[in-house]
Amino acid sequence: MAPRQDNTLDPVTFEVLKNAFATSVDLMSEQILRTCYSFVIYSRDFSSALCDAEGNTVMQGSADIAVHVGTLHFQCKAVIEEFEDDINPGDVFAVNDPYRGGTHLNDVSFIRPIFSEGEIIGFAQNKGHWADIGGNVPGSFDVNATTHFSEGLRITPVRVWHHGRFVHDVAQLLVSNTRAPDQAMGDLYAQSEATAVCEREVLRLVDKYSKDTVVKAMQETQDYVERTVLKSLEGLPHGEWETVDYIDFDPAVGEGLVPIRIKLTLDGQGIHYDLTGSAAAVATFLNSGYGTTHSAIYAGTKTFFPDVPLNSGFYRAVTAEIGDEGTVVNAGWPHAVTGFCSGPYEKVMNGIFELWSAIMPERAMACAFNLEYLLIGGNDERQREAPYFMWYDWMAGGWGGRRTKDGSSATSPVFGTGLAVQPVEGQERLNPVLTSRHQISIDSGGPGRYRGGCGVEKGGVLTDVDKSVMSYCCDRGRSVTWGVDGGLPSVPHGVWLNKGTSHERYLGATFSNVEVKAGDSFTRPSAGGGGFGDPLDRPTEEVLEDVIDEYVSVERAELDYGVVIIVNDPDVDDYDVDEDATQRTRESIRRQRHAWLDASPQEVAQQYRDGSIALHDVLRRYGVILDWGTGELFEKSTQQYRESLRQRSSSHWS
Amino acid sequence: MGDLRVAVDAGGTFTDVCIYDAKTQDIRVTKVPSTPDNPREAVVNGVERGEIDLKDVELFFHGTTVATNALITRRFPKASLVTTEGFRDVIEIRDGTKDNLWDAYKDVTGPYIRRRDRFEVPERVDYAGRVVTPLDESAARALAQKLKRRETTTIAVCFLNSFANADNERRMKEILEEEIPDASVTTSAEVLPEIFEHDRFHTAVANTVLGPLVSKYVEDLDGRLTDDGYTSDLLLLHSGGGSMTPPLAKQFPVRLAASGIAAGAIAAKHIAEQCGLNNAVGLDMGGTSTDISMVNDGELRITNQWEVEYGHPITFPSIEVLTIGAGGGSLAHVDVAGALRNGPESAGAVPGPVCYERGGDQPTNTDANLILRRLGEDLADGALQLNRDDAEKAITEVIGEPLGLSSEQAAQAILRVANANMADAVRLVSIRRGLDPRDFALIAFGGAGALHGAEVAKELGIPTVVVPPNPGVTSAMGCLLVDIQHDLSRMYSAPASEVDVEDLERQYREMEAEAADRLRQEKVADDDIILQRGISMRYFGQWRSLQVTMGHGQEALQQAVETFHEEHERQFAFRQDDNPVEVYQVHLRAVGKTPRPTFTPATASDAPLPEAKHVREVYFDGTWHSTPIFDRAQLHCGVEFDGPAVVEQLDATTLVPPGARATVDEWMNIRMQVARKGDDS
Repeated sequence: MAPRQDNTLDPVTFEVLKNAFATSVDLMSEQILRTCYSFVIYSRDFSSALCDAEGNTVMQGSADIAVHVGTLHFQCKAVIEEFEDDINPGDVFAVNDPYRGGTHLNDVSFIRPIFSEGEIIGFAQNKGHWADIGGNVPGSFDVNATTHFSEGLRITPVRVWHHGRFVHDVAQLLVSNTRAPDQAMGDLYAQSEATAVCEREVLRLVDKYSKDTVVKAMQETQDYVERTVLKSLEGLPHGEWETVDYIDFDPAVGEGLVPIRIKLTLDGQGIHYDLTGSAAAVATFLNSGYGTTHSAIYAGTKTFFPDVPLNSGFYRAVTAEIGDEGTVVNAGWPHAVTGFCSGPYEKVMNGIFELWSAIMPERAMACAFNLEYLLIGGNDERQREAPYFMWYDWMAGGWGGRRTKDGSSATSPVFGTGLAVQPVEGQERLNPVLTSRHQISIDSGGPGRYRGGCGVEKGGVLTDVDKSVMSYCCDRGRSVTWGVDGGLPSVPHGVWLNKGTSHERYLGATFSNVEVKAGDSFTRPSAGGGGFGDPLDRPTEEVLEDVIDEYVSVERAELDYGVVIIVNDPDVDDYDVDEDATQRTRESIRRQRHAWLDASPQEVAQQYRDGSIALHDVLRRYGVILDWGTGELFEKSTQQYRESLRQRSSSHWS
Repeated sequence: MGDLRVAVDAGGTFTDVCIYDAKTQDIRVTKVPSTPDNPREAVVNGVERGEIDLKDVELFFHGTTVATNALITRRFPKASLVTTEGFRDVIEIRDGTKDNLWDAYKDVTGPYIRRRDRFEVPERVDYAGRVVTPLDESAARALAQKLKRRETTTIAVCFLNSFANADNERRMKEILEEEIPDASVTTSAEVLPEIFEHDRFHTAVANTVLGPLVSKYVEDLDGRLTDDGYTSDLLLLHSGGGSMTPPLAKQFPVRLAASGIAAGAIAAKHIAEQCGLNNAVGLDMGGTSTDISMVNDGELRITNQWEVEYGHPITFPSIEVLTIGAGGGSLAHVDVAGALRNGPESAGAVPGPVCYERGGDQPTNTDANLILRRLGEDLADGALQLNRDDAEKAITEVIGEPLGLSSEQAAQAILRVANANMADAVRLVSIRRGLDPRDFALIAFGGAGALHGAEVAKELGIPTVVVPPNPGVTSAMGCLLVDIQHDLSRMYSAPASEVDVEDLERQYREMEAEAADRLRQEKVADDDIILQRGISMRYFGQWRSLQVTMGHGQEALQQAVETFHEEHERQFAFRQDDNPVEVYQVHLRAVGKTPRPTFTPATASDAPLPEAKHVREVYFDGTWHSTPIFDRAQLHCGVEFDGPAVVEQLDATTLVPPGARATVDEWMNIRMQVARKGDDS
């Protein structure tokens, strides 16, 4: 146990105030959840924080979305820098600037100073995702943006309340630059009011415990978290660990996976990351600013220290060198960064999962599916005025297989496990889109001793629409969700238009402003999680159970797991495992599988185009990356992906 | 029929029996161990132990954990789900979220019906209730045949948008019933005609899987009670704070889940009413957890959002109770970074606190209370001896030494953290509703509530604490106090300014007819039926709605809109008169009044304060105080005394700290003034 330092609060006062800070922040979250207008906020894409007088975070909400972790202090500091001594009681500031530590333009923060005896003692902050913030495309997710100018409204720190008076002109300017000004104004009010809840609670604590005690407790709460992390590191090995994960491609460069390199060092002084050597910023919006890269680092690390509270003490114990501006992980002005959440964010988090899996095997996990957003915007012809609609959809998917159990199926993304999938019935009431299916997709979990969790397939038909376009923000159409420890990949992400018809089109895992019309259908999967361990080691009875539940097909049970299933009477779940055939099949796979990874990519591509092998085989057997629509081979991507497969999968096979 | 009213509240460990004699207005209480494997046995044992002749019983109330336990253990008969093509996995995908946001090894529990038992059929209705794809009857019939081969008779039918048009669901049910003669089929719209497939399907599925089990339990118990001479209907407590008779419980078994939690809250409301308190917080603190409920303007807070396990919502109105991991057995420890923590881990019944000498070696709140001699070493009239030396040793080693505190200081620190945690939880439930806890009284009960109540109240700036006569069995008494109650709702989505008032009236009338029908089926006389209208509204564009009461007549809607603005401002500190208000749902609460026990107040006597059993040194605020120990049975109505004092009785110990003034009121509650109103320190 760590000795307490001198000059500290007594243990009871400290514990009581630390918990009271958490309550004051959670109350702010409760209120925003009950009064918000953006359905994205309602689905829990928001966060709350209490910051100290310098802007450092004292406490984050206990149910906050992962992606905002570690960015709120940057935004608070931006307000302090901008307004210095012109910050007054009754002021509220708005900021969303991704070049001042923000996330993306949609995430608008409201920050209220807390005064005691004429002095600032802290700031209450609420950050929420507005459904639209202007720019080229509805929902403000313009994949093809290369600078922020086409992404939407950039809000550097501005004042929306001044001495308790609403600054109507500024607020109006902000909301008038969105496609849904009334909704935005509703959220502006709701978020600002929510910060007042936290202010009231902190002032109550000041009344009761004195200003000095509360201020001291704010510092000690940060020290406490730093100490907790450092203590937790005792007993862990020192050393360096490295990995690389990829974004699909950079249109400015052409075909080829875009590397993000992560090095982790443990030296007894803290946790240190180094992301230098990552690729240059890409010519799409899949870049990350410094705020969100730090967020990914903190959130990824926190997954291995789930009980440690989040505040600036955590950020002191976890340090990162992210290199100079101009890279995919430190884009800088004016690079487009709205898609960071599908791009570098997921790669950094999963890469960190992989690194820590080596250090804490009891928490090990393979790669999870990628965050994805499908947006359809246009005119809703169901109503006389044909108002603008935004069908803005994201899916749950599979997480990676683990040391002791299968991956979690149909779960919210690592980007935020509290981010709720929307009910179809709610979506259909608000948008002229009829969902035709929303279900678990068979064979989507990466094969392994412990199978990756299953992904989901969701598709629909546009009904009464006019002047409509579709955009998709995802990734891992080529850098497919990987297995570890001998486990295999899951399936690629990507959207199909009019699948199964004569005018079928594969649109890929990122695209923007594709015109769509009434009667068009679309569908896309979310990936499953990567497999953990050699799939040939999975007990046959577990494979059989998966077949009965149709998580795995009879065909893929044989191809991926080498388990031969005899189908007797599926209506009453009557199946058997053919043990002899299984043994033979497994031996045969074992003999050939290293060679499969050296098979000619051109021939594999040809077989896929002929329809003689399935997508699953192209990926899981041969490690070949194609345009899944045309079957065109991506040679460089294949080379890189095979390298990853050798490292993560085949080198672990007996 | 006789004069007795009996309530049997079956909990996880004990089954409490509360017997009220309408003639003498006496209440008796007894306890028997619960029998989880055959819950009926404990009820029967309780009746025997209470020496009740069922022929003398006018009303028999029962709170049961049968439904809750079945959902947690998944021990219910195999059931199947029939759903719209493309939507087989609604109950498995859920909304995708996890309750433990950060621990990647902690998963949400699996669905109540496995994937292999979920089947699709071609059909589709759109958001407005129009049939997009008619039910494919031949596919439906083939599926019914398949289910018959699979020997499934318990079936839920859950179709998309059935809240807007339930025809396809109903037709599917008919086909299943035709093909499978002994099938028991539930449709989602008949259980809960509300939007959002995840909530509706889950509620319907939970209702379906509980059907056979709850029906059997209720039938068996009802039969047994009837055989033994009880002539009226068995009244089953449900989570909405009312009761149901067996036929309705078989139809809506899911309403019995969480029936146990409701009882304590109802008791708190009753005590508040007796004391003339409009606003009260119920603090029901037991061995492992504390249930916090709120009475506001004389009514318990109700929520539509609850679940037995995370990810499996049950969307029926339920009394809002916040349960936190703070109880007598909560463990105190110093964490890796040197902070003093308390709970949520608990020593539970086994091994229990250190002082119980059952193998526990981690200090608990009970141990801390013992160190400070707030708790005596003899409990339950000497039935339980506590070992103070062991407790002291554990607290010194685990807390005192690492923090440099004496054992007394360490014990006091443990309790202060526990009390502050409970105060935080009370703050969360009150402030999130726009309520200030300082305007409330605290009703402290449960095994440990009376020991902590006064200090929690001080922490919150709550001036008054009420400790009921039998704190340990207060919940069981709550069971005696409920009316028959049904809660109905319908979607009604329209801007308030465009609502056709006559159409709205028709909706209420239809619900009222259905509700009255249910109550008559339960043999409620028309004079005893009370129907209360409610309406949910929100600002156009908002996601959450607020429920307010709705009156009758032309002006009722306008008044409800005004109430909505006011309530929004009160709860969230702002209103938006310029923003159009949208109606979202209409609600009806149908109450069948049940005779209430009447209690005769005791007469105050000016007899002097009885002599203390003894005086012992008790630790408060950093020093030992000579403190009188009273026997509760000796304290008469009207008696007044100042803290410090300790009041002991069989099932609880009440702490009256220095500075507090206590009286025994006409209901034999101990009432304490612990602080001036609004004195928040």
